Amino acid sequence: MERKNIISVIVILMFIALVLGLFNLEIIQGPKFRRLSDSNCIRLISQFGSRGNILDRNGQVIVDNTISYDVMILPQDLEDVNQVLALISRLIGVPAQELKKTFKNNFLSSSVPVTVAANIDLKSAILLGEHKIDQPAIIVVPKPLRHYPYGPLASHVIGYVNEIDRWRLTKLEDYGYKTKDIVGFGGVEEKYDYYLRQEEGGLSVEVNHRGKFTRVLGFEPPKNGKDVSLTLDLRIQKIAEEAMQGRKGSAILMDPYTGEILAMANFPNFNPSVFIGKRTRLIAGLFNDPDAPLVNRAVASSYPPASVFKIVLAAAGLELKKINTSTTFVCQGSTMVGARKYSCWETHGPQDIIQAIAHSCDVFFYKTGLLVGAQNIHDYALKLGLGHPAGFDLSGETSGFIPSPLWRKLNKFQNWYDGDTANLSIGQGDCLVSPLQAVILAAVFANRGYLVSPYIVKNVGGLDLSARRKKFSPVAFKKTTFDIVDSGLREVVSDDKGTANAMAALPVKVAGKTGTAQVPRGQTHAWFVGYFPYDKPKYAVCVFLEHGGPGHAAAVTAQQIIENMNKQGLI
Amino acid sequence: MRGSFFKILIIALIIAALGVLSIYSSTYQKEGTQWQDIYKRQLLWLAIGLAFYFFTSKLNYRKLWDANYLIYGTALFFLLLVFGLGVIRLGAQRWLKIAWFNFQPSEFAKLAIIIFLARYFSGKSADDVSLSSGKFGIFRGIILPLIFVAVPMLLIIEQPDLGSGLMLMLVFVGLLYLTNVRLKYIFILLFTLILPLPFFWHFLHDYQKQRLLVFLNPNVDPLGAGYTVIQSRIAIGSGTFFGRGWLHGSQSQLYFLPESHTDFIFATFSEQWGFLGSLFLVLLYYLIIRQGFIIAQRTQDAFGRLLAYGISLLLALQVFINIAMNMGLAPVVGLPLPLMSYGGSSVLVTFIALGILVNIDRTRNVF
Repeated sequence: MERKNIISVIVILMFIALVLGLFNLEIIQGPKFRRLSDSNCIRLISQFGSRGNILDRNGQVIVDNTISYDVMILPQDLEDVNQVLALISRLIGVPAQELKKTFKNNFLSSSVPVTVAANIDLKSAILLGEHKIDQPAIIVVPKPLRHYPYGPLASHVIGYVNEIDRWRLTKLEDYGYKTKDIVGFGGVEEKYDYYLRQEEGGLSVEVNHRGKFTRVLGFEPPKNGKDVSLTLDLRIQKIAEEAMQGRKGSAILMDPYTGEILAMANFPNFNPSVFIGKRTRLIAGLFNDPDAPLVNRAVASSYPPASVFKIVLAAAGLELKKINTSTTFVCQGSTMVGARKYSCWETHGPQDIIQAIAHSCDVFFYKTGLLVGAQNIHDYALKLGLGHPAGFDLSGETSGFIPSPLWRKLNKFQNWYDGDTANLSIGQGDCLVSPLQAVILAAVFANRGYLVSPYIVKNVGGLDLSARRKKFSPVAFKKTTFDIVDSGLREVVSDDKGTANAMAALPVKVAGKTGTAQVPRGQTHAWFVGYFPYDKPKYAVCVFLEHGGPGHAAAVTAQQIIENMNKQGLI
Repeated sequence: MRGSFFKILIIALIIAALGVLSIYSSTYQKEGTQWQDIYKRQLLWLAIGLAFYFFTSKLNYRKLWDANYLIYGTALFFLLLVFGLGVIRLGAQRWLKIAWFNFQPSEFAKLAIIIFLARYFSGKSADDVSLSSGKFGIFRGIILPLIFVAVPMLLIIEQPDLGSGLMLMLVFVGLLYLTNVRLKYIFILLFTLILPLPFFWHFLHDYQKQRLLVFLNPNVDPLGAGYTVIQSRIAIGSGTFFGRGWLHGSQSQLYFLPESHTDFIFATFSEQWGFLGSLFLVLLYYLIIRQGFIIAQRTQDAFGRLLAYGISLLLALQVFINIAMNMGLAPVVGLPLPLMSYGGSSVLVTFIALGILVNIDRTRNVF
């Protein structure tokens, strides 16, 4: 080939190479570079929506939001960091040293504002705003913040909000959660976080190579979270919490027909606002407290039910026709089961089923239990909602525990003895029941026929959730069984020697059962479960006092709750 | 004959118009009228360039044969002047301030060297009126012209403008190849040029070393030396097929891309007009260069032919190196994109060169 032709071919090849290079950059890698180009010049300035409110059943606010102010400084407009930080420090009363540390920790790039102090009050915000002219780097941003008008009221039901943790972030990343998001922990805040959480809106602005604003590209208004209405009645909740007088334990009031929780008080409780103020010392105190103030005892903890369990025994005995109204056992203060003596807490003399319930006679139930048999007791307990979770809508629900011979054999390789049956018959031994399960048990005898699934969220953002609830499972007991047990429960209160006789004076007819749980160490646990008014039940109630003494103490607490509710005309 | 005048004129004007649009788009948002009016200056230069185009296309190119040594000497003089009095801009001493504009002698030197080489290799032997270059030995064929090229080239490299200097060397080798000089000598030249390259590394300026390293891997220094290449690749790539549209390029209009109106104008253009527009632009360049080669091939006169080849080669190499460097396929050197980039000297020289091309085509039949 002639030299000139070779040169022409080389030139053509050069241009083909250019076209191929262009094809590679613009067509094959184009989308990637388009993204890079956008991230070069587009910045998002977020604006906060507010998290949904939490309301009670009557629309009263339990948790809402207030406006707080964050102080930010924009590094690109900064002349002298120390001088600006000193000014801020003087105005909001936080040591400059601390501000400097936060500034360093939060610094991302010169065009991104850095938060140096969060949640300052309105007064400081205004003071800082006045310095806007001579210190253009200072930005004061309003931010909605969780506000708890009742402090620690219903804190376990509500939960608290805090910065998202690693574990939750990995689980929730797919749903649009980001680091440093504020999410709910515990209670309704956690369970309904997806609905409650606000959608961050903001401006997308174009910046030039120096990060300086050039124009607004778009605005996405922030969306507020949806409001969540609870079934709680704020008035009853307050009464319940007052009656607890800060003693460790729980009190639950529930509608026995629908399963709506009207009050759920737990102690020790906590003030969710400590998480808002980021008061590290107080937060650490909450986590390290051996009394576990963050635990929702009513739902997540289970205890020996003690005499409360006798309701199960009575029902099982009657249903299985092992006992009837004419069955009488004589209580001599104790009875022999095998070679061991099992004692009663008192000498009751001859007792029929109604008296036995009223006086909580152990001997009667030892004997009933031996007649019914351990496996049957276990089965009836499960029928009555014990030993398995109730499907409550707050997480962390415990299933409690009801032992059975089969379980003992399989898991502990031990035999089941009659003594174990006797122990189980009075709700001791391995048997564990949560306060929530206890109130469901009481509700079965109030509504006479079905096991409710308790719930606490009535609707979310105006959408009624009741249609999606689990159907209640029927408890197909004979009418006579309900009649006998109910009159026994009524006698507990109305009988002179009834264990909850303290409530006899109430203008409201109450039925219920006390329980005094023996514990390895310390004072006994006190139980009271029941319902009222007796003739036409409106409320099922459970009061549980951890190491609260005899069941009588719980009965007195329940009496105060009912009395106050009656005073406020809630019954 | 008249055809090539209009063909080249129309293509050059389209390219220049696209250039003005791109210059406008990359500077209209900048502060200060001297930036915003820069496209007007380019328009002025284009007008002057066009005048030169008309003038040189009428001027018999054989006169360049006669004025050869004068042109070469003038170019050398200006290069020396720059060496002493040049204005330092962007870290290089490439410009001479004359009245109200900055003049870049190296652009003219490129053309002057091509004219000189065309003249040198088209001398005829007295005996048989054949080209004497075929009979050149190694001294007359390689060494002597190399010296003539090397003097201005070294001055240009010393400015420092490694890109223009090396490009001159490439044009020299290309022209040598198109003469009758023996292939053997050309290969000897290539070897002697390539072998000591590792040794030359030590003579490079720091920024030149850095640019070469960055060319091999732009991410070595993404905010320093590699910044331009990365931003330029992002600009071109983000154009995708249809481009972002005129005045909607974020890379160039928000100044992420440095030198977006001069050396990196191709990236500016490509971001806004996409693959489609870039393909069109590259095609225009190809057409104008092909026209140059066609003119060269149909010219009988050895001087005219070599001159046409030299000019076409110069254009082709400048276009190729500049676009390749915009795409990150060649190291970043200070080479403008002919007709597109802002800059009076480049516009003038390109139009003069195109005028000479047209004139060669017009007068070739005279001989």
